Amino acid sequence: MSITQRVQQWATFGRVWHVYDCSYQNPFDSAKVIVKYLKGMQKPIYHPMNDCGDHVVCINTKQIALPGDEWTKRAYFHHTGYPSSATWTLAWELHSKDPMMIMKKAIYRSLGGNLQRRHTMQRLHLFKDDKVPQEVLDNITNQIRQLRPVPQRLDHIDQEVIDNFPKIMDYPEDYLPKAIK
Amino acid sequence: MNNLIKNIVCRQSFWGYPAARTLFTTPATRVKHIEISQEKDVVTVRGKTVESGREQLLVPQIKECARNGERFCPECSLGLDIKHTDVLILSQYVRSDGCMLPRRVTGLCKRQQKKIGTMVTMAHKAGLMGSLKPANCKKDPEKRYGFKKFNKYFFEDTIKLPRAICKQS
Repeated sequence: MSITQRVQQWATFGRVWHVYDCSYQNPFDSAKVIVKYLKGMQKPIYHPMNDCGDHVVCINTKQIALPGDEWTKRAYFHHTGYPSSATWTLAWELHSKDPMMIMKKAIYRSLGGNLQRRHTMQRLHLFKDDKVPQEVLDNITNQIRQLRPVPQRLDHIDQEVIDNFPKIMDYPEDYLPKAIK
Repeated sequence: MNNLIKNIVCRQSFWGYPAARTLFTTPATRVKHIEISQEKDVVTVRGKTVESGREQLLVPQIKECARNGERFCPECSLGLDIKHTDVLILSQYVRSDGCMLPRRVTGLCKRQQKKIGTMVTMAHKAGLMGSLKPANCKKDPEKRYGFKKFNKYFFEDTIKLPRAICKQS
């Protein structure tokens, strides 16, 4: 085997580490994308019985965003098995307890059920903020593109930019601002 | 000297004055910056009209619409597709406490007024306009109570407009 072919072999079967920034991302839409990388479905050599999945590092899972009033409408069911021990935890309550759980459950669910699921989940690394250990950071070679643009907060924009932004409304002549005391 | 100069905003109502004072040399309801200065025995009181500071930055289509006697709307006149994340645009339509301005001030059509008003609410709920809040509010969205402290986003097509308003435009 020539050197070129050997490197080609490593590149084909080596596990790539991807990073995904979850800030302002819908966890359920993101899970569908992340699952493809975890299973290695983006590779031409993909086969369900071929162990070619990649690692995915999800950072800022505390900053995930849910649409509308879903924080209060989505419930997570749990049952310990004992009588009358069924619990329904709202998404925001679960997220306050564990900021990684919603992301983890979303990916676990969208992986689909087979015996490989638990092993595939081992290649997922979740971090609630951007503090990632250096040994994990050293492996990362690719970033997965975010699905939604991160909105900019008004108080994070420079006052100069706000002042010089083109205006599409001017106050009428008889407009009276709130009385200055 | 300094304590005599006061920045006050006064509104002179047309009807609040007796019949003898119905003639004014300047617009009666214009916002004025009143300067009181004293030099020896003479006290000078001046009312200067306050400019909004937006004249230089206005888009030219506003003046065009005003000249043609048309109503200016960002969607109808400029073809803008405003989202609730466009805080630089939405913040132009609110008061200093983040409250949406009425239609007689914004000059929008009924449909746009309703739509932009809802998007202002969305931006507030998403914590994007924390600096425009009443004094007693939590300006940092992460310090809000319960589920409100988490990030959320909205879909603009969920804004429900009454059928009558849709027909008008």
